[in-house]
Amino acid sequence: MSSLNHDSAATLAADLRKQSEQDAGVTPMDAVLDAGRTGTLTDDQCFRMLSHLWTLKRIMYYVYGGWAQGINLNEYPPSVAYLFGKQIYDESTHEMQYMDEILRRRWVRTQRKLFDHPYGQFNTATRVGGYIFCLRSLANYPQNIRIAALNLGPKVIELAWTERFAESFPDRAIAGIFESQLAETRSHILMGRFQVEHYLKKEVDAEIATRLCAETRKDYLFFLEETARFTLGMKEETAGELQVSADID
Amino acid sequence: MERLERFELLEPEGMAGLKIDHEKCTECRMCYVACREININAVIVSSTAQHLLEIDERCTYPKCTVCLMYCPAEGSIVEADTGRSLVPPPPEVWMENLRWPRSP
Repeated sequence: MSSLNHDSAATLAADLRKQSEQDAGVTPMDAVLDAGRTGTLTDDQCFRMLSHLWTLKRIMYYVYGGWAQGINLNEYPPSVAYLFGKQIYDESTHEMQYMDEILRRRWVRTQRKLFDHPYGQFNTATRVGGYIFCLRSLANYPQNIRIAALNLGPKVIELAWTERFAESFPDRAIAGIFESQLAETRSHILMGRFQVEHYLKKEVDAEIATRLCAETRKDYLFFLEETARFTLGMKEETAGELQVSADID
Repeated sequence: MERLERFELLEPEGMAGLKIDHEKCTECRMCYVACREININAVIVSSTAQHLLEIDERCTYPKCTVCLMYCPAEGSIVEADTGRSLVPPPPEVWMENLRWPRSP
């Protein structure tokens, strides 16, 4: 089995990030931003948006819990576990922030009520479900590959649209939430780069990481499409309506 | 009477009765968890890049002292107006009928 040298791994990390940045140039969330800029976004739509984003972040506990079982003894140096622990903590912080804002605005009275609210429920037959199960299934892969798939894929897209929201979303309190998350999301991307450069050592792993990154990007973009449609009150997508090209197709 | 209704009787004082001293706080988030658990929700994550915890005007201190029960870091929660440290809780704060919010 041929091995990957450090330069090749660094090139792979850069390539994955670049592909994700291309996908991030325009995302479905731009439609929400446009609605915000024209002053047509209502309080209820902001509630929908934050609830849907919260739903993803809270289900990430389920994803990361599965991943954590797959960090085996002596498989990686402790730094891999430190970085993973920090990433989980940051995602938890973002979840807390969305919940804080929803409670502050009294869109629901208590945290428990948001779990029952139609805006906050997690349903499996949805794009958020599809994305979550896509990530959860990466628990079958070693940490270096799945971190490449997530941190150099959807995280890059997440950074791009949250940067745009931080800059231009008209509700400045909500914009402030996104602004505060940027450094952490950037850190996850850099963690991904670090782990690929240092711990991705086989060519076959590089190929798998590339394929998985394309899948996670696709599923994340579908999630963003669902979020935007839900926020704007548009009808749900029908089967086959949306196509996202990826080299896995 | 379900617990939520009892807590709704605890009106906030109008400004935060407690403040977090970030020099001492370890960001363990126990205060956040405890305050969220009883639906007062006064402990929040600030919208700064550091994401430090803060206590806002929903805090009902001295009617509620639950965060003080769980804070592990000496000096990290103080009275907002006097600066007096409440961790560990002074004896007059740590009273049975103030450990968990009760209806008046």
